[in-house]
Amino acid sequence: MTVEWFWPEGFYTLVMVGVFALASFAFRQPIAVALAIAAIVGALISGNGVPVDHLIEGAFGYLDTILIIVCAMIFMKTVQHIGLMESAAAWMIRRFRVLPFRLTMGITALLMLPGMITGSSSAAVLTAGAIVTPTLLRLGVPPVKAAAAIALAAIYGMTAPPINIPAMIIGGGIDMPYVGFGIPLLICTVPLAIFTGMLLVYPSLKQSAAIGPGGEDKELEVELDRMARVRLTPRLMLPFLVLVVLLGGERLFPQIAPSLGMPLAFLLAAASGLLTGQKWNPMEAATEAVQAALPVAGILVGVGMFIQIMTLTGVRGFFVVSALALPAWLLYVGIATSLPLFGAVSAYGSATVLGVPFLLALLGRDEIVVGSALSLIAGLGDLMPPTALAGLFAAQVVGVKNYFKVLKVCLLPAVVTAAWGILIIIGADWF
Amino acid sequence: MILTWVYWAITVFVIVLVVRSLYREKSLREQFVAAMVLVPLLLRVLFIK
Amino acid sequence: MFEKRYLASRFSATLLLLGAVAVAAISAHSYLRMHHPGPDVDRVVPREGFVHKRLSDYFQGLQDTPADTDVYVQEGEQPGGTLLVLGGTHANEPAGVVAAVVLLENADVKRGRLIIAPYANLMARTHTFPQDAHPQTFGFETSGGVRRTFRYGARTTNPVNEWPNPDIYIHPASGQTMAGVERSNLNRAHPGVADGGMTEQLAYGFMQLIKQEDVDLAIDLHEASPEYPVVDALVAHERAMELAAMVTMELEFEGIPIRLEPSPKNLRGLSHREWGDQTDVLAILMETCNASAGRFRGRTGEALVLTGEDKAYDKAAELGRLYVPWESWDKRIAERVGRHVTSVKLLAENLEFVRDDAGIVIEGLPAYTSLSEEGVGAYLRD
Repeated sequence: MTVEWFWPEGFYTLVMVGVFALASFAFRQPIAVALAIAAIVGALISGNGVPVDHLIEGAFGYLDTILIIVCAMIFMKTVQHIGLMESAAAWMIRRFRVLPFRLTMGITALLMLPGMITGSSSAAVLTAGAIVTPTLLRLGVPPVKAAAAIALAAIYGMTAPPINIPAMIIGGGIDMPYVGFGIPLLICTVPLAIFTGMLLVYPSLKQSAAIGPGGEDKELEVELDRMARVRLTPRLMLPFLVLVVLLGGERLFPQIAPSLGMPLAFLLAAASGLLTGQKWNPMEAATEAVQAALPVAGILVGVGMFIQIMTLTGVRGFFVVSALALPAWLLYVGIATSLPLFGAVSAYGSATVLGVPFLLALLGRDEIVVGSALSLIAGLGDLMPPTALAGLFAAQVVGVKNYFKVLKVCLLPAVVTAAWGILIIIGADWF
Repeated sequence: MILTWVYWAITVFVIVLVVRSLYREKSLREQFVAAMVLVPLLLRVLFIK
Repeated sequence: MFEKRYLASRFSATLLLLGAVAVAAISAHSYLRMHHPGPDVDRVVPREGFVHKRLSDYFQGLQDTPADTDVYVQEGEQPGGTLLVLGGTHANEPAGVVAAVVLLENADVKRGRLIIAPYANLMARTHTFPQDAHPQTFGFETSGGVRRTFRYGARTTNPVNEWPNPDIYIHPASGQTMAGVERSNLNRAHPGVADGGMTEQLAYGFMQLIKQEDVDLAIDLHEASPEYPVVDALVAHERAMELAAMVTMELEFEGIPIRLEPSPKNLRGLSHREWGDQTDVLAILMETCNASAGRFRGRTGEALVLTGEDKAYDKAAELGRLYVPWESWDKRIAERVGRHVTSVKLLAENLEFVRDDAGIVIEGLPAYTSLSEEGVGAYLRD
């Protein structure tokens, strides 16, 4: 790297990243605020003053995404409030208790589900993760492993179809519609979800199952009874059915199904929850949902500001072309490391800033498969401190104080995930 | 055109919820995040940006 | 700054709410400037002989909508063919816009008719695209020392006029599925829908213009990023291929290297495809190279728009990532505008060889070398 290439954009990069790290680590600011501060400092040192219009314009890049996340969260809270989530979890644990492999798979699927629907790993952790945690611990899964399993499943859920926001962002960068990603994203995620479940959850469940079906564990029975207090009937599933019909219809039959958009589909599905299950207060549930979604929405606003200033100052071009400058064999190493590392800013930011140029660098292979794999690797960014959306929330939900212990357990599956992603990119044209 | 106004209403709804959250947040930092999220929502509802 | 001991309160919430409103107001002030830029921005001084019309004269449905835009018509003394030139289909492709304005301010039509819509999608001129960090305006100084300023807009219609975009856009005429954002893209909306979205209505308006004015040759002026394969190119509908091939050779002869691309048959909604398919017009789209809209670009601002000089692109070229001979290459807006103006002129001159009695003669247009050497400002009026 020559001095002419480095100066001044490389310097701006270091300052922006440094200020971000300082604000979030040393001054313990929320990620959203740390990103905004870093963006403002970046603008200041590059001689742009405090360009309020630029900062806010950057945030507009994710306005629709914010609406999707908020509305998806309202839907998840509804499903939680009417008792559907807990009831389904209790049913599954009762049914498969003595079949540890199936129970492992069932729990993993349940942990992934909200991420699949909302495209946000934190939504998965805060809903399904929170619901399954007591049972996981009761079934003998060590807390650190439980947190790691929840965080990883949430990331695989975020990556799995139907909704994968990093893939939408990466595809949008080369004008590629988010269509036809379903199968590649399943190939990206399902094997990893099985592997991680077997690694982190299965051994404990097997031990627990070996104790026998007698149900010696009284506390667990009490817990399951509490969870299953609303009966799991088809009517209780109504919100899910409405959602599947609205979202599935629009995707599978775009010519005939009305194009409502995801936010409206989620709200209508949530509204159908008024017709079933336990009584709940919609306004309270919606406010709760927004409170849960705000950190993520805030991060998107912050990332938008950060990226706008990166573009304004030339840091973005510096970053992108530096990544392209990697020799071919290093390109894969670069993808496997820089995408998760940039995830410190957030997986979405990583997809925007690095996912798009990497896809451009790999043009000529099946773009949908490559984009899917890149979104998988970018998703790992949600384990990367200080943001670590999936990891930190999972540690919090399980009650592990030191996130780095969780991160250590996540390391092996994360490496396997990155390797799987790279393998898929290398073999993209065999699909 | 109808859908535009439906989404306008959804955005107003979200603004109300974010303001509600802003008043409920226990920490000043989280309040700040809520305020940040509010800005683009306000500008869209006013059809400025 | 906010240690835990500073607890949140109703007071702090109210303060932050006011703060959010204040920040919204400050940025709104800037965004509204793009909606109402004042009389000096995007001002045009048509050469005498042009008659001012509006697109709504051809399609009433556009009247009093933000999509309605100016159309200028000049008729030569001798009868001949009719040429339509669109600038600003994409408002973030400045050489296309400025070339249309240069044509409007200099063209002296001797034979046939020239119709110019310099700001085809006005709704794309009222905003800049998020995270692109584009400048709101760029400008030139005329020989008389007057600054002529133009808005740098976006590729798509402002969401204020068209929102929300669907997840998947279905092109109405063909049923082809596209990314949702393309609904706001004029160059995916042709041939348009009379009662469709704003952008579709706009496209419908241009289709009506082509039919009612009996246009022989229609040219849509664009720019593309250096990392895309179709740069410095003529893209021609199959019926316009012969004319485009003749002009390509003449351009090469004048020392202006250019590529000739056939309009892809299965890519729907584009001007050259739909105009050519639905009418008997010869439809052509032209691309010059605009680094300021590229994905590898470095520091973004007016300088990049005007000079095209960019160190990130220099490096990308070294790495072999570009399709253009970057280093040896003139990327200034004056060159790009010159390229467009010269191509339009040659296409008009050659029209009579492929279509009887459709000859067009336009005088007064700056030559490629004069534009390139003297700059754009020399060919804009005070």
